[in-house]
Amino acid sequence: MNPAPVRTYVLVWAALIALLALTAASAFVNLGAFNSVANLAIAAAKALLVAAFFMHLRRHASALVRVFAGAALFMLALLFALSGADYATRHIAPAAWSSPPSPTP
Amino acid sequence: MSVAHRIAEQFETREQQREADSLGTWVFLATELMFFGPLFLAYFYGRTHYGEGFAVASGRTHVWLGTANTALLLTSSLTMALAVRASWIGRRGVTLLLALTAALGVAFLAVKGIEYRKEWDEALVPPFRFVFAGEHARAVEVFYWLYFLITGLHALHLTIGIGLVLWLALRARRGDFGPHYHAPVEMTGLYWHFVDVLWIFLYPLIYLLERWR
Repeated sequence: MNPAPVRTYVLVWAALIALLALTAASAFVNLGAFNSVANLAIAAAKALLVAAFFMHLRRHASALVRVFAGAALFMLALLFALSGADYATRHIAPAAWSSPPSPTP
Repeated sequence: MSVAHRIAEQFETREQQREADSLGTWVFLATELMFFGPLFLAYFYGRTHYGEGFAVASGRTHVWLGTANTALLLTSSLTMALAVRASWIGRRGVTLLLALTAALGVAFLAVKGIEYRKEWDEALVPPFRFVFAGEHARAVEVFYWLYFLITGLHALHLTIGIGLVLWLALRARRGDFGPHYHAPVEMTGLYWHFVDVLWIFLYPLIYLLERWR
């Protein structure tokens, strides 16, 4: 095993902290819908850094291990896409009887 | 060489054994993702259907405590990764790095406890103590249900992680790990980083909705 130098790990950590500062600061500026996009994009970037360097997917993992890691994300995407499609297209119609009758004393 | 240092008989080489260890751990992490996934989906549903109410609820969370906690957890991932690195090449310091990782995890739980305490005082804990007046009361209640469910489950995972890391620290002190045997450190590291990645996504979802208001 020939690991990356300590410097690499510390640089990745510095990048993670910088991205944390960026996402926290951007949340206090009104960017409209782009606030959510920025927050999630930064979270994805941080997760990618952790997976690639700290979890060693970049240098010390076989193609098979990477495929398995990707398959987990793919299953999660399926869950969101299929369930989400249902929720996104279904109109919620409150029933006329939705408030329960109060018991008569 | 002790028994632990030998390659198990079903493997040809040390590399093959490590491959099986990694693959098994990643499959476990995939099932963990399926475990947390529906909770994220529930959040996604709430955020897309009751967006305004979720933003109001997020405004009541303690953003600076959450930010500090994120920094603590990211730093614990660094010390964990360095512990794995040190055990790979047989450097000393594995025990110290593991102890540091566990300490950072405990600090995270302590801050989380302070937050829970504050939320209890502010009556934001459904169904035990929840008082919220305003048009978004129902959506805020749903948000805090999810908040306690997800952060509680995350804290449980972290607690298990701290236990594992402390156990590894004791074994490292005994000199169990080195270039020829370090699978427990490496695989616990994968789990620790996974718990960190979960929090990386939870942080903006819980604390950062429409903070500019």
